[in-house]
Amino acid sequence: MPVPVLEIDAAQVWRGQTHVLHGIDLTVGEGEIVALIGANGAGKTTVLMTISGLLRPRDGAVRYRPHGGDPVDLARLAPEAIVGLGIAHCPEGRQVFASLSVRENLLIGAYLRRDRVAVAADLDRVVARFPILGERARLPAGSLSGGEQMMLAIGRALMSRPRLLLLDEPSLGLAPQIVETIFDILGDINRAGTTLLLVEQNAAMALELAHRAYVMETGRVTLSGAAADLADNPEVRRAYLGAADETMAGR
Amino acid sequence: MSDYLLQQLANGLILGSMYALVAIGFSMIYGIVRLINFAHGDIAMIGAFTALAALMAADLPIIVVVLAVLLVGAAVGLAIEAVAFRPLRGAPQVNGFITSLAVSVLIQNTGILVLTAEPRSVAFPAFLSQPIAGLPITVDLVDVLIVVLAIVLMAALGAIVNRTRLGMAMRATAENLDVARLMGINVNRAIMAAFAIGSALAGMAGLMWGARYGQIDPMMGFLPGLKAFVAAVIGGVGSIPGAMLGGYLLGLAEVLFVGLLPPEYAGFRDAFVFGTLILVLLVLPNGLLGRAAEDRA
Repeated sequence: MPVPVLEIDAAQVWRGQTHVLHGIDLTVGEGEIVALIGANGAGKTTVLMTISGLLRPRDGAVRYRPHGGDPVDLARLAPEAIVGLGIAHCPEGRQVFASLSVRENLLIGAYLRRDRVAVAADLDRVVARFPILGERARLPAGSLSGGEQMMLAIGRALMSRPRLLLLDEPSLGLAPQIVETIFDILGDINRAGTTLLLVEQNAAMALELAHRAYVMETGRVTLSGAAADLADNPEVRRAYLGAADETMAGR
Repeated sequence: MSDYLLQQLANGLILGSMYALVAIGFSMIYGIVRLINFAHGDIAMIGAFTALAALMAADLPIIVVVLAVLLVGAAVGLAIEAVAFRPLRGAPQVNGFITSLAVSVLIQNTGILVLTAEPRSVAFPAFLSQPIAGLPITVDLVDVLIVVLAIVLMAALGAIVNRTRLGMAMRATAENLDVARLMGINVNRAIMAAFAIGSALAGMAGLMWGARYGQIDPMMGFLPGLKAFVAAVIGGVGSIPGAMLGGYLLGLAEVLFVGLLPPEYAGFRDAFVFGTLILVLLVLPNGLLGRAAEDRA
């Protein structure tokens, strides 16, 4: 496995009064696409929120290795500091700023960056990747369609120049063709050097795109391994890929 | 148009300028923390007394007095945010409403304790009360300055909110606090900026009130503050342009009500203001420029 960028070690996370993550271990290597699959309520979103700092683990560690630096414990940092270290979180349900213009949404992704010239160049790059965002630059983001908002949410996250991009359900509520397009783009982003941690209910798409994957059930990792192996695993096929249970079918 | 009507329109514009400045703060603060700061009108009172102190004690030039009032207003707003609002972030809305009511009562009563409830006259430099010559209506220089200064301040506010990095951060925080944090925005700073700016404008309205009506007292912020809140709700609370519009509409409506109806109805002006609120909300529950209601826990 490549050099780890992120290591979660026995994280115990609570949301309010609810104990959601019961000791999660998870590693993401440099340049990888790692998928996190599992049913609704398994705690996948909570994992991402713990990495980006919106939630803090009560116990356990979340270690991140910035470029050429010493590991940092993210559990001690606020979200506004974590994004500055190169981790962008593209939240569930897109959550673009509806009243801000498309262009402002992209610029706000680069909020912490002071290098105006490089930000302008990245803005051009994002618009080249998603031409529709250039055409709609002055419109309020709330006027975009669901797929366009997803592109804007990804573009906004890219504007921080992330080394690690966290994606929460990018396929949610989108037409299958749009999902194909989005996943193609995620592959491109990864090939251009960004590490991805992808939370998905659409396990088939996620396992096809990812190098490795983790399967979560009720706050624990129950299976992990190469994405291709998991896609062949009978348990995974039955529970998450909608394959007919062969033993049942044989009877 | 008759001179009488013209005079009423001018008076309404002046009153509306002050309502608008106070209403903006209600809307900015509501927009970002989803709470009404009921002590907001009392910041106007503090602004008026700051002007009085600056004029009496130091005899400062008027421009310095204006800057001092803006600074003191901002400082009071920041203090209220730190003491009464920040500890309650994430608590149910009702707690914030009650706390800000308590802050309002506290400010008023401290004012009575320290300054007595006796109204005091504010002696602004004499040149301010010179009538503008050559007009068919009575308008003093101070009235013109009130309207012009209000417009300048609102234009400056619009530039900050729509054209600066801080303004973008404030708008993003108002819309979605958690996602704003994911962008790297220090949301505490954005919230503090909203309190500081809104409160500075309220302080300024207090100075204007003193300059126009000549008398101030520790309770003076209560009723105009409540009316400015009505103006913000009429405009659509959370919307800054709505607060401006609501402020001017309410100022004009109130003055025209008193000026055009027989004098025996003049005593009902406050009832009229709140009646207008009920009527507007019956037709437009979100106010004139407000968005559909939302609830953020």
